[in-house]
Amino acid sequence: MPGSPGPQIAIVGSGPSGCYLAQALLRSLPHAEITIIDRLASPFGLIRYGVAADHQHTKAITRQFERLFQAGNVRFAGNVELGRDVGLDELRAHFDAVVLATGLSADRALALPGGELPGVIGAGTVTRALNAHPDEPTTLPDLGSDVVLIGAGNVALDLLRFLVKAESDYDASDIADPALERYLGSPAARVTVASRSDAAHAKGDAQMLRELAALPRAVYRLPDDPGSALADDGALDRAQAGRLAAVEELVASERPAHPGPAVTLRFGVIPVRILGEERVEAVEFAAGDDVVVVPATSVITAVGFAASDPLAELLADHSEVGGIEPGLYRTGWAKRGPSGGIPENRACAKSVAEEIVADVTSGALPGSETRLGFDGLPADVRAASVDYAQWLRLEQHERELAPSGRIRRKISDHDRMVAIAHDRA
Amino acid sequence: MKFTVLYGTESGNSELIAEDLGAKLRETELDVEVADLQDTDPASLGADRFVIVVCSTHGDGDLPNTAIPFAEAFDAALPDLTGMRYAMFGLGDTFYEATYSQGSEHIDRRFAAQGAIRVGEYGRHDASSWDLGSDVALEWLPGVLEAAAEPASA
Ligand SMILES: Cc1cc2nc3c(=O)[nH]c(=O)nc-3n(C[C@H](O)[C@H](O)[C@H](O)COP(=O)(O)OP(=O)(O)OC[C@H]3O[C@@H](n4cnc5c(N)ncnc54)[C@H](O)[C@@H]3O)c2cc1C
Ligand SMILES: Cc1cc2nc3c(=O)[nH]c(=O)nc-3n(C[C@H](O)[C@H](O)[C@H](O)COP(=O)(O)O)c2cc1C
Repeated sequence: MPGSPGPQIAIVGSGPSGCYLAQALLRSLPHAEITIIDRLASPFGLIRYGVAADHQHTKAITRQFERLFQAGNVRFAGNVELGRDVGLDELRAHFDAVVLATGLSADRALALPGGELPGVIGAGTVTRALNAHPDEPTTLPDLGSDVVLIGAGNVALDLLRFLVKAESDYDASDIADPALERYLGSPAARVTVASRSDAAHAKGDAQMLRELAALPRAVYRLPDDPGSALADDGALDRAQAGRLAAVEELVASERPAHPGPAVTLRFGVIPVRILGEERVEAVEFAAGDDVVVVPATSVITAVGFAASDPLAELLADHSEVGGIEPGLYRTGWAKRGPSGGIPENRACAKSVAEEIVADVTSGALPGSETRLGFDGLPADVRAASVDYAQWLRLEQHERELAPSGRIRRKISDHDRMVAIAHDRA
Repeated sequence: MKFTVLYGTESGNSELIAEDLGAKLRETELDVEVADLQDTDPASLGADRFVIVVCSTHGDGDLPNTAIPFAEAFDAALPDLTGMRYAMFGLGDTFYEATYSQGSEHIDRRFAAQGAIRVGEYGRHDASSWDLGSDVALEWLPGVLEAAAEPASA
């Protein structure tokens, strides 16, 4: 690759935003040499480690990205962490442009009294454990009989589905069985979902709610002491009306009683504090002028994500533009903040690609013939990295190891993943 | 025949399929265009080109974002598509049972209402199937071309 005419571009992060950006860049800069680095041995970010294991149809988007990595001028370099294995200055020295597509992986803290009590768990911790993410222990903490879920966006609804489902509902998934088994060994008896908004204005998609209604699991009800309206009086758009109808379907008296937890949906409640001595015992909510105390053996907060690493400072403010300074850009959740599904990262990547192309064209981003790109990185970093063919070996291994009823068994130990990828296992 | 392959997409699958169909057509045809519905003026469509639409489904059986401006422009100034022949390839996901693959149908209805004639089978790809969309579309294409080659009768 050295001596090639196109610019050398490093994309840090191989989630959907990084992959879409590479696609968009190749379209306008077909001679670019693109290196997508990721701290993990596997590509695809939250498609692999966020999207719920029982939603394999959503994970199918990776089929599109396989093509990208086979294109020839896009290199995957897994097991290379910005801030650990390479510094930002170093990357910028070897690449004409560096794009941060690192996502936002830390659970946003619930800044409430008692928020630090044992038994309060971030949604990311649970969703990563269920997806066998190398950063999480292979099992889940005990959730106990009474789980309070704070938040009602799509991530909260993924978690609710997990809390109500039975073992047989995971056929053809790649769920992390040790984590699943731990939970199903003593599943919740009662689940409370707490949303600040009314049902119509909650963040979750109607389709996600309808999926719950169609599952022959769990019994849903609204609290007897509502104080919480399903919708204010204003006119509803189609999405809001759909959400409302889906909630009504969930709690409808015609919906048969099914096995699984008793789920209470509390809309229009604001968490005030978490009560407990040694660990969480209850959550206190403000519901209009009333106070509602819901007993809890555990609290899962699904209230958004934040930057977790040394990049936090660069990514603190969410931005309309991708450019941080000439030669340094960001895209995806690292640019826009932690909202929006996979497709939204495509539109975002297109606009950031346009910025980069404009900078190349205007000369604001002076390319240099001497930049070596990936080949300029230290030899030990290159040797330790996992390329796309090596990832395919690991992926093949995971598929071959799949127990019956599973499409793959994810390896959750990072070093083992690298060893298998490198054929040293 | 001259060909235009139009795509409407949100997560990029339709675009990839459209490009692959375009590449396949270019092996035998001289005049093949591939374009985003977003960048397409409905008034530019007509009987002089065979149109293939590749379009996904989003929201609740709705058009993908990039196809919405096209549909709006179409409705604002209805084009005369008399004699235009076209084929449809819809993307969807049977996970969304009630609205499966309806996105492309919004375009299909508009074309038909303006006098265009759909040719060949209505192609579909189901994201839940794990089949590669391009494989399904490339298998579907010869049937369409065969039907397109027959003299327009109806
Ligand atoms: C639990 C959960 C479930 C979701 N489910 C869905 C769903 O079903 N459907 C949907 O459309 N959207 C879903 N989303 C949203 C979707 O995942 C995001 O829109 C998308 O992943 C954001 O893409 P990204 O590339 O910006 O970030 P990410 O996907 O987070 O990718 C970031 C990548 O950067 C890497 N990285 C981070 N720091 C470094 C570093 N210092 N050095 C090197 N690499 C680094 C990470 O390992 C990761 O691979 C979900 C999100 C969550 C959190
Ligand atoms: C938010 C969302 C909503 C969707 N809604 C539907 C739907 O109502 N009906 C359907 O058949 N498919 C639906 N799909 C599936 C898409 O049509 C399918 O994933 C398709 O392959 C996407 O193609 P694209 O990448 O060209 O947009 C939806 C997908 C997403 C992400």
